[in-house]
Amino acid sequence: MAKRTIIPFGPQHPVLPEPVHLDLVVEDETVVEAIPSIGFIHRGLEKLVEKKEYTEMVYVIERICGICSFGHGWGYVHCVEGAMNVQVPERAEYLRTILHELGRIHSHLLWLGLLADGFGFESLFQHCWRIRETVLDLFEETTGGRVVFSICKVGGMNKDIDNDTLKKIVKTLRGIEKEIKQYTDVFIEDTSVKNRLCGVGVLSKQDAIDLCAVGPVARASGVEQDIRLAGTGMYQELGFEPIIEEAGDCYARCKVRIREVFQSIDLIEKAVEKIPDGEIDAKVKGNVEGEFITRMEQPRGEAVYYCKGQGTKFLERMRVRTPTNMNIPAMVKMLQGCDLADVPMVVLTIDPCISCTER
Amino acid sequence: MKSLFKKPATLMYPVIAREWQERTRGAVAINPEDCIGCGMCQRKCPTNAITVDRNAGTWEIQRMQCIQCAHCTEDCPKKCLSMDPKYTAPGTEKVIDTFEIPTKKPAAAGDDAKADGGGKVKCNTEECVYCGLCAKTCPADAITVDRGEKKWEVSDDCIGCGACVEKCPKKCLEL
Repeated sequence: MAKRTIIPFGPQHPVLPEPVHLDLVVEDETVVEAIPSIGFIHRGLEKLVEKKEYTEMVYVIERICGICSFGHGWGYVHCVEGAMNVQVPERAEYLRTILHELGRIHSHLLWLGLLADGFGFESLFQHCWRIRETVLDLFEETTGGRVVFSICKVGGMNKDIDNDTLKKIVKTLRGIEKEIKQYTDVFIEDTSVKNRLCGVGVLSKQDAIDLCAVGPVARASGVEQDIRLAGTGMYQELGFEPIIEEAGDCYARCKVRIREVFQSIDLIEKAVEKIPDGEIDAKVKGNVEGEFITRMEQPRGEAVYYCKGQGTKFLERMRVRTPTNMNIPAMVKMLQGCDLADVPMVVLTIDPCISCTER
Repeated sequence: MKSLFKKPATLMYPVIAREWQERTRGAVAINPEDCIGCGMCQRKCPTNAITVDRNAGTWEIQRMQCIQCAHCTEDCPKKCLSMDPKYTAPGTEKVIDTFEIPTKKPAAAGDDAKADGGGKVKCNTEECVYCGLCAKTCPADAITVDRGEKKWEVSDDCIGCGACVEKCPKKCLEL
């Protein structure tokens, strides 16, 4: 039997975009066990609900994550609106859906870049991020911010996006679609990329269910789970099928995210066709009394939001459960038995966001 | 190969400056002449970046603390705050910008207002329906309305901003 060695991996590591620490127990070059530990970037954002008014808190919640910031803002306001029984106008819900899907495109393009960087394909990384800039410019034009948008508020939206601008968004996205296809084909067809991804970090469907994997990680293992179909936003009006792959390896997870980029472009186009004219915010009276829980499909998977108020302008409790939190057990399972050189690929393909997880 | 003949994707900054969008939230700007020092922005700021001192007649913003959420611009009763598309210049020190605001009441809220006390709001109780909208609007929480007992009171905290006068559905308030 080979000698067991423990190799510390992270929290600072060239391939890790986020501070997670793994103790890798290895036998020769094979990982036998991985023991994760987090806690390097806790900011105590949930505690701030006791000091910030519930209307101000949305600006704090948006800063949980710099990538799915719109999703977090929406999740929070949706939760508060649910607790206060506020009916949000349809146009606002459509606008939220469109911005959320734009966020998914930019998140997946960012992730594809990081993956390319992880396996050493620097030019592919740069191209993915270059295309992503177009999406960030669209955000800046419509919301005023490139990373944090501050456009969502309890009851609706702060600013309207006129129909001409929405059509321009679709036109721009259709314009870059061909370019995205050109580079995502490299991920799907290039032999050197396939060598790094195919058959690496396999998660079976049963394991994905048992370990409660969420989002693209679960969908790449054949689990049909997409919270967008559960009712938040206008997704049910748009009609779509969740993207499923069966293999459960790093390549399948990459393919799911690539296909989701194109699906998001289609969803935005459908939403722009269907968006009605009208109000963008509803009047909100009083304070939060009671509790509410809601789920959102973030680019990384299912996130859960909970809020509880006692009739004052400050919430009593706010809780966010992020997708990475749920995918860490699945990642530990994938790491068992993989080569030491494949560890960065496995960690990257769950798209870890430790800043979200620790809040 | 194609990339060799394309233009660079980046700008030659700072020779070519980036063009900001109309909606870009770069930095909070103030029109000090219109400011009445009500302190609404200070109370609404999620990061406590704004300090309003009515006695000294100053409006301060800590640029590094501001998160450009634009919450203050939406709640400003006089709409004297706005978002400048240009970001604050990078620097090595934490910048605090101070603006002088008029300590006396501006003419916009009524020329006959008392210059020394800022002009307290008055209510014509014969027309008042005691809806309480003025109390909800008041940035200084100076108005108390009791619908049951038909009582309308204003405390010395009134800053004479005129926000309640604009909101009053019966137009029975005046400064």
